[in-house]
Amino acid sequence: MKPIRRRVPWAFLARRVLYGVLAILAIAVINFFLLQLAPGDAAEALAGQAGTADPQYIAQLRAQFGLDQPLWHQLWAFIVRLATLDLGYSYVFNEQVSVLIFQRMPATLMLMGTALTIAVAGGIVLGVTAARFANRWPDRLISLGALLLYGTPPYWIGLMMILVFAVMLGWTPTSGMENVLAFNTGWDRVVDIAHHLILPAAAQSIFYLAIYIRLVRAGMLEILSLDFIRVARAKGISERRLSYRHALRNAVLPLVTIVGTNVGNFLGGAVLTETVFSWPGVGRLMFDAMFQRDLNLLLSILVLSSTFVIIANLVVDLLYAIINPTVELK
Amino acid sequence: MIPHPPSAAPVLEVDDLQIGVRKRPAMQILRSVSFKIHAGETLAIVGESGCGKSMTSLAIMGLLPDAVERRGGSVRFKGAELPITDNRAMRKVRAAQIGMVFQEPMAALDPLYPVGKQVLEVIEEHEDIPRAKAWARVIDLLARVDLPNPEVLAWSYPHKLSGGQLQRVVIAMALACNPEVLIADEPTTALDVTVQAQIMRLLKRLQRDTGVAIVLITHNLGLVAHTADRVMVMYAGYKAEEGQTRDLFLAPRHPYTQGLLDATPNPDRLAAGGGVLREIPGTVPSISDPMPGCRFAPRCPRAQEVCRASVPGPVFEGSHGYACFNPVPAARG
Repeated sequence: MKPIRRRVPWAFLARRVLYGVLAILAIAVINFFLLQLAPGDAAEALAGQAGTADPQYIAQLRAQFGLDQPLWHQLWAFIVRLATLDLGYSYVFNEQVSVLIFQRMPATLMLMGTALTIAVAGGIVLGVTAARFANRWPDRLISLGALLLYGTPPYWIGLMMILVFAVMLGWTPTSGMENVLAFNTGWDRVVDIAHHLILPAAAQSIFYLAIYIRLVRAGMLEILSLDFIRVARAKGISERRLSYRHALRNAVLPLVTIVGTNVGNFLGGAVLTETVFSWPGVGRLMFDAMFQRDLNLLLSILVLSSTFVIIANLVVDLLYAIINPTVELK
Repeated sequence: MIPHPPSAAPVLEVDDLQIGVRKRPAMQILRSVSFKIHAGETLAIVGESGCGKSMTSLAIMGLLPDAVERRGGSVRFKGAELPITDNRAMRKVRAAQIGMVFQEPMAALDPLYPVGKQVLEVIEEHEDIPRAKAWARVIDLLARVDLPNPEVLAWSYPHKLSGGQLQRVVIAMALACNPEVLIADEPTTALDVTVQAQIMRLLKRLQRDTGVAIVLITHNLGLVAHTADRVMVMYAGYKAEEGQTRDLFLAPRHPYTQGLLDATPNPDRLAAGGGVLREIPGTVPSISDPMPGCRFAPRCPRAQEVCRASVPGPVFEGSHGYACFNPVPAARG
């Protein structure tokens, strides 16, 4: 038995990549002007930190950073840098922007990936369980829990989790990504990071977990009422197989779409979570860049995040077509 | 027409089956339904929408909706009681011993899997054979239901096939494990007229090849006349009449059967000056209507006092049975 292979939709991919590049360019330009609207610049922020308001010193810094150039010139220089994948130098952090970002990237990706996995896996398992026991006690328990999680602000949940699990019970560390002073290596380091990861990942996933549970439950109930489920039941297959193989695969399609659009929100949420838990990620870097008026660093992070979101959406579309054979990518 | 000797044990036997809505004692869907079917035989169950035809078939498969319960009676397969309220135990019966074909082929298959895989699933569920062997059987089954190019078609997704092709796949699925009974619940209602005839011919041919007993549920009397050996007419949860197709069509005894036949287009009758179609006045009583007598009495032209006072029991004349106090006279010749 050999399945008929589906063709790779090269034309679709090429067009989407082109659109993606145009979108990133537009995002870069719009963000550039938006950030110009904010008062103050890096020269002022640095001079403020140095405790001086000497106009000559500030002007000198501006000339050094290129901030005295006309706006159009600055924009052009920024776009050229983007096109050549050179993100420039951060005078605030005294480091290449790309180095700064890529140092922080793994921490953020780890946090996001874990939170997303918890939310999707938990949402599927709990949502399917709720639907299989619709209106009986497992469903009531899960649905009530989801409603509570959905209605509570995520940052508050984060703070309360620190209070309960870290401060009162002492089960987890309060903040940070690892115990640097322990100089852990190898497996010990992995365990240590995982230990630090639990709270922030849980805090960030909770709101999405609640949404996904409700989405999967509603989708499952709709699919389970369809004719082909009764036909499948008449084939003698088990309720579990029915739920996961037939109902879930159909019910998960809207979830895939929502998760795709949520990837951007996860990045935005990372700023909050990383700040609350002192997680050394890109979100935290973005927060710092904002306060330091390091517009170039901030812009670079924004453009990188939007690239990430655009790629995530492309992946979602491809995934959707893989799960659902009736979708044709053109 | 009757391939079994009269003494042979029936393969499926439904006895005084009663079904009602859970927690609503007044709502009685099946009040009393009994029938038998032998190997190689086709029994048509006929009646208006809402008379309990489909509930009967779902009950036999143990697929009653959650809101519905069995209140009495039994279903026996080859003499052994079927545990129709035990979902887990019924899984071994479904498809392996009793297969089912449903009304809507367009909605009967999971849109996300190739049709061959969905046939394969039945075989893998019930039989412990190597995958390659099971797949070879899938291809063979698809060929037997007259699907063109089965090796390629097996990998098609349901949305690529027509209604008639899909119904053939559903039939292949229902017969994949050689069940001894096939329940076909309105198998052609959703299809074009020309396709309807093809599907019925296919079912009859498969029956000749395998000896499967077919319970054909339908409201299409024309279909019944051409395909069924015996007919059971149901009305409002009761069996109204039962008999050999020929007897029942030529000499109906129950006034409801008579009414159904009069309401069916028939060129012969028109040619004989039989006049236009006559409808049965009134509507089917609600399942919660507690009327004490025959449930057809309010619509019956032959109803008498006794019909409104008590429920008629079945009367048999040979193989022809009916539940009526004042039957249509057996006008022969």
